Amino acid sequence: MIIRVKFNKKNYLKYISHLDLMRLFQRSFNRANIPVKYSKGFNPQPKFSIGAPLSLGIESEEEYMDIDLEYMPVAEFIDRMNRVLPEDIQIISGKYLKREESLNSIIAWSNYEIQFKTDHRKSKEEINKVIDNWLLHEKIMITKIRKKKGKEIEKEINIRPFIGNVIVKDVNNNITISVLLKTGSNGNLNPMDFVNVLNRDCELNIDMDTISIKRLALYAEKGDELYKPL
Amino acid sequence: MTFREKLKINERWKQMINTKVLDKILNKVEKPARYIGMEQNSIKKDLNKVKVKFAFSFPDIYDVGMSHLGLHILYNLINEEEDFACERVFSPWLDMEEEMRKENLPLFTLESKEEVKNFDFLGFTLQYEMSYTNILNILDLADIPLLSKDRKEEDPLVIAGGPCAYNPEPIADFIDFFVIGEGEEVTLEILHLYKKHKEEKGTRDEFLEKVATIEGVYVPKFYDIVYNDDNTIKEMIPISPKVPKVIKKRMIKDLNSMFSPEKMIVPFIETIHDRVVLEIFRGCTRGCRFCQAGMIYRPVREKSIDRLVELAEKLIESTGYENISLSSLSSCDYSELYLLISKLMERFEEKKVGVSLPSLRLDSFIIDILNEIEKVRKTGLTFAPEAGSQRLRDVINKGVTEDDLINTVTKVFKEGWSSIKLYFMIGLPTETDEDVLGIKDLAYKVKDIFFSLPKEERKGNLKITASASCFVPKPFTPFQWVGQDSIDEFHRKAHLLKNSIRDKKITFNYHDPKLSYLEAIIARGDRRISKLILRAWEKGCKFDGWSEHFKYDKWIEAMEELNIDGDFYALRTRDFDEVLPWDFIDPLVSKKYLIREFKKSLEGETTGDCREGCRGCGIVDCVMRGEK
Repeated sequence: MIIRVKFNKKNYLKYISHLDLMRLFQRSFNRANIPVKYSKGFNPQPKFSIGAPLSLGIESEEEYMDIDLEYMPVAEFIDRMNRVLPEDIQIISGKYLKREESLNSIIAWSNYEIQFKTDHRKSKEEINKVIDNWLLHEKIMITKIRKKKGKEIEKEINIRPFIGNVIVKDVNNNITISVLLKTGSNGNLNPMDFVNVLNRDCELNIDMDTISIKRLALYAEKGDELYKPL
Repeated sequence: MTFREKLKINERWKQMINTKVLDKILNKVEKPARYIGMEQNSIKKDLNKVKVKFAFSFPDIYDVGMSHLGLHILYNLINEEEDFACERVFSPWLDMEEEMRKENLPLFTLESKEEVKNFDFLGFTLQYEMSYTNILNILDLADIPLLSKDRKEEDPLVIAGGPCAYNPEPIADFIDFFVIGEGEEVTLEILHLYKKHKEEKGTRDEFLEKVATIEGVYVPKFYDIVYNDDNTIKEMIPISPKVPKVIKKRMIKDLNSMFSPEKMIVPFIETIHDRVVLEIFRGCTRGCRFCQAGMIYRPVREKSIDRLVELAEKLIESTGYENISLSSLSSCDYSELYLLISKLMERFEEKKVGVSLPSLRLDSFIIDILNEIEKVRKTGLTFAPEAGSQRLRDVINKGVTEDDLINTVTKVFKEGWSSIKLYFMIGLPTETDEDVLGIKDLAYKVKDIFFSLPKEERKGNLKITASASCFVPKPFTPFQWVGQDSIDEFHRKAHLLKNSIRDKKITFNYHDPKLSYLEAIIARGDRRISKLILRAWEKGCKFDGWSEHFKYDKWIEAMEELNIDGDFYALRTRDFDEVLPWDFIDPLVSKKYLIREFKKSLEGETTGDCREGCRGCGIVDCVMRGEK
């Protein structure tokens, strides 16, 4: 049976990579005696997957993971896991899936909260206006460098379709914005790339050393509706 | 509380590192998880509530240091005591160091993010000589005076132990005191003494005087060295009647009742050993004449099977690891290895926990065991014949014959392995060009064995890697008096080999002779080498053990400036009656035995394994002695 759980990743643990996180969970299953199913073959691996890997250095309130296991009550699973997991990575809720739909196939959007300092003293309304005008453009181009067979290939991409709502929440002390960015196999925009291009086009003079990013939620998409995977 | 004391506490708080700055830096460096701590089984205590704070340092990066078993032992040993806290500190990698220096962020411990400077002790483990410049770099980043004589009452006591402490002299200027031998008992003795001393408000010097009387402790400042005109040592004079003339190594008598960790810190990032390391015994009975570990860790002492299974269970439970590595100097020599492995496999079969053997001997019995435990993939195997010819293997007392190698390799190929690594040394005493070319002959023989098998019995693609390191004579080995080959001679021999090996299936590589030359200078150095290490560090040397960061020219420059003759230390052959810089340390193995072994080596005469009868190395409490 496949259980889908929601977990968070906070404070210093934002500095562990996706691969490190996979290893941490694998060991935590062992320590918590979770009856995880293993793949067949020469090198059996526990069957679990985490949706939409988080970039290094970004905190998250809501991450998702699917685990294939022998049935055990959800509450017991959460309880046993949280006892062995670090306090900054904890499972919040869980549910057995009725039909199989992999996380990676459904996740489409991320909601990030981005904080930074700038030397501009603009009001909330002013910044909102600058950003709204910016988003009126049909095309916002960035240059991506991809490595192909050892060669570096530059590619121009239009990221405008990957940007959803952008809301300025606060301008006191830090500027805080909430932004919806495309995530997953059908288009993906890294929040740092977003900040860089925002700074480039909107002349906000962001102090890059002060940027802190947190993922608040992940969404799947059906038609025009966004819904949470759990 | 007086105002002054209050002020001190406030200052202390101010000294705790600025975590905002840390956060900013961590976003810029490679593998930031090296610097955050918080791993499974790491221990964070309230530092204001403990009485003694100990910062444990492995002077290399986190990834390397966390693979060191001694760290896990001492960390848990100290933290089990309520009044003591042990926290970790490693060398920050170059990118991190650059950011820290730019932001004026002092070196901190991983657990509490507390400045290293605020600890009572900073303890280094000395695993290889080429890490010594990193010690200075750590002291500098921690804002602790580099020289012992410049340290003040409020500075931590800088101490060191580990295998390289058997010749403490090259870093005697930097270290307040050394601990010689095994640390499980003596570390707690020192910390308890310190706790009492602190309660009595004693001074730093008073403590050093007291600690010098603990067996195994060496306080360099209490000893003067007098030199002869030819630069050799005339004598070492204790300046106080209270300190011992000879420092005897500490040795744990019974490994079953000794403290053994039941937990290991599980790093977030991948390290060299991503598994449970189960120490099955200490010491080695083989008596290879080049091997320092084989001498200084004597006598051989095993943990019982029951104790090992008990520890393995606890370690697997506390870590969640899926593999256990049986660790020792020569794991295949454990007297009931087969029984141990079957018990472990039986116990953990259900949990899918694997068992692995790290060091391999050329013995076909081992292949049966490997076959048993490596059910999954037949990856590469490593063997260390050390020398190419039988004559030279007899000189170094590597108890391996060509027949052993041939039998084992034949079996290995039949069982399906196809990738073999062979480790050798060049520059061994009495070596001739014929011996050097023996390395090529051996590699070719291994290749011939593979292709002599019927085609249907060969599996995979044959790949032989022959690696040669340059021999470095080490203290407390029968070769401690021998002059090393010059750099040119190493190059000549390596090229001789390289040019003679012309086969696509065989890869030959060799270690940088320059690095081995420096290692030889430091390994057998005296106190004057401290100045060289300091000067080299001032010139930017660090991470010398990482070949891409080793700056040979800077070291040579430093030697020229200080008028230090490297050849005097590395290349010179010593007389038996010369006073050696490490002679005041008693490793329990007698000098008489080392001389006897050296003389036998020149005759090409071998000495058998201790398990077949006592060889009279001088160790009193040895089980091998009783069995004779």
